Amino acid sequence: MVLQRIFAAVLLLVCLGLALMAWPYQAPFSYEPVGPRAFPLLMLGLMGLGLIYMFFRPKAVVHSEEEPEMDRETLIKISLCTVLLLIFAGLFEPLGFILSSALIGIPMARLYGGRWLPSIVVVSLMSVGLYLLFDKAMDVPLPLGLLEVLEN
Amino acid sequence: MDTFSYLGQGFGVALTPYNLITALSGTLIGTIVGLLPGLGPINGVALLIPIAFALGLPPESALILLAAVYLGCEYGGRISSILLNIPGEASTVMTTLDGYPMARKGLAGVALSLSAWSSFIGAFIATCGMVLFAPLLAKWAIAFGPAEYFVLMVFAIVCLGGMAGDRPLKTFIAALIGLFLSAVGIDANSGVYRFTGDNIHLTDGIQFVVLVLGLFSISEILLLLEKTHRGQEAVKATGRMMFNFKEASAVFVVNIRCGLMGFIMGVLPGAGATLASAVAYMTEKRLAGKSGTFGEGDMRGLAAPETAIGASACGALVPMLTLGVPGSGTTAVMIGALSLYNITPGPMLFQQQPDIVWGLIASLFIANIMLVILNIPMIRIFTRILSVPNWALVPVIAIITAIGVYAVHATTFDLFLMVGIGIFGYILRKLDFPLSPILLGFILGGLMEQNLRRALSISNGSMDILWSSNITLGVWVLVAVMLLLPVVRIWRKRSVQRRALADV
Repeated sequence: MVLQRIFAAVLLLVCLGLALMAWPYQAPFSYEPVGPRAFPLLMLGLMGLGLIYMFFRPKAVVHSEEEPEMDRETLIKISLCTVLLLIFAGLFEPLGFILSSALIGIPMARLYGGRWLPSIVVVSLMSVGLYLLFDKAMDVPLPLGLLEVLEN
Repeated sequence: MDTFSYLGQGFGVALTPYNLITALSGTLIGTIVGLLPGLGPINGVALLIPIAFALGLPPESALILLAAVYLGCEYGGRISSILLNIPGEASTVMTTLDGYPMARKGLAGVALSLSAWSSFIGAFIATCGMVLFAPLLAKWAIAFGPAEYFVLMVFAIVCLGGMAGDRPLKTFIAALIGLFLSAVGIDANSGVYRFTGDNIHLTDGIQFVVLVLGLFSISEILLLLEKTHRGQEAVKATGRMMFNFKEASAVFVVNIRCGLMGFIMGVLPGAGATLASAVAYMTEKRLAGKSGTFGEGDMRGLAAPETAIGASACGALVPMLTLGVPGSGTTAVMIGALSLYNITPGPMLFQQQPDIVWGLIASLFIANIMLVILNIPMIRIFTRILSVPNWALVPVIAIITAIGVYAVHATTFDLFLMVGIGIFGYILRKLDFPLSPILLGFILGGLMEQNLRRALSISNGSMDILWSSNITLGVWVLVAVMLLLPVVRIWRKRSVQRRALADV
């Protein structure tokens, strides 16, 4: 309940901010009656109404049985996983696909309960395999990064 | 008779060896993707969009591939719900009710093949319905002007909320988030940059693939982290693989009934497979009365939801192809794919590119037959895939998702955006928001704004145009009905509760 209220309030603030951002949107010269700001403002307004209702009358979230309660440990795991994904996004081009996916994939496999050796073997093989599959066989260009030296 | 000659032409397209192989690999990939925990039809189709594009598939083959993957994913989800009792997504919850007990009785193979058969009949009925009704609807839809389209899209959005049942408000907010997100980027009419924050990567708007993969794959990866313990062991599929004639004829009436129901539900925007399977199961349970053993492995209880899912999956393609208005998350993804090929689905598609439409419809028939045939030799291999542990699976999902996103524009900005959207999607999921309305809103948003502006340009700013024709008035009435539905439902629930309290 509290979480929902916080969420509604935060999203409401975001809506307000975006509406302020949209306010000055004017076409330099216009040949149609509806400008570029009407539609987004309408959507934000409706969303705001919904959120205000949610803020005052939040409905309890029904948890299914298999979903365990959030504890400290899972929260830490989730933030770790997010950080890993962000690092992955950052290193994708500089390090190249193979190195970055191996580097991120191994700790990720550990996070999901894999043991060191199998994780390293599986993830390294996968990253090379996926590179060959996508870049070479399916023509999806992927960055080589540091490994470009090996190419020639 | 026109329709049949077109259908023949469609089979001509679908039966070329190239497209047959495409459909076969699509069903295989789809089944495997659907099997894996956390990957459903939406991810499966979205992941393949950039790949189909990079492979240089012609548009009709790409669409056939995506449709085959869609059907395959639905089928794969069935395997995990029957053997593991873990529904891959909301629509297969009903399948577990009788499918899993059947598997525990040692009828796993029969349950799987029977569900494939039911789904085939459902899809067959729906495809026949599509062949009959889609051209009619397309002909009728040509009379639609921008005002009519705008109202129709309002109806599609409201339908989502009205049909969602238990959480209309959250569905509505989710749809609005999607509608808003579609406005990000350069405004096509005036050239104004909206909500880009001077970021050059956002001028083009948020890429559809990035939104889908962020919302569905990344948030699912985070959700899987909570369930680190493995669920039940898969029931071994041993013994008889194929259902026999007696079993098939026992559920045949159920198949027909649920197929028709599923088709109608599929055509309605927003209702989709989840509702169709639930309604079908409940109806059959009531019709069977005391003679049924529903919940303990009744074959009818397995056939009913499966037929309805198969039928509604195909039925959902009707509004997408004829009106260009998607009715479900997956069809929204398919529209996204079509727009990559510069194809705008809508009434004109039937006239301008009959090859694509009829080729797709014909390949649905073929893909369904393939699934039934594939099921028998492959089932042992499929069950082995179920035992892949999460620690090996999740990094691969993450890496493939990143490839899919990177393939669209080759910028790392999209990767960051994907992670951000994924976190947002995870929070939304934890708060019990449905995610597919965001996708529908995102796809409909651009169309809705364009049509609204066009309509008001025609009328020179007067709002009257939005309710001046008979079609618009009719649709507004439907909108009102849909808005009232959840209110009535809540009111009824309350009065029942009050009566229950009074009795005590």
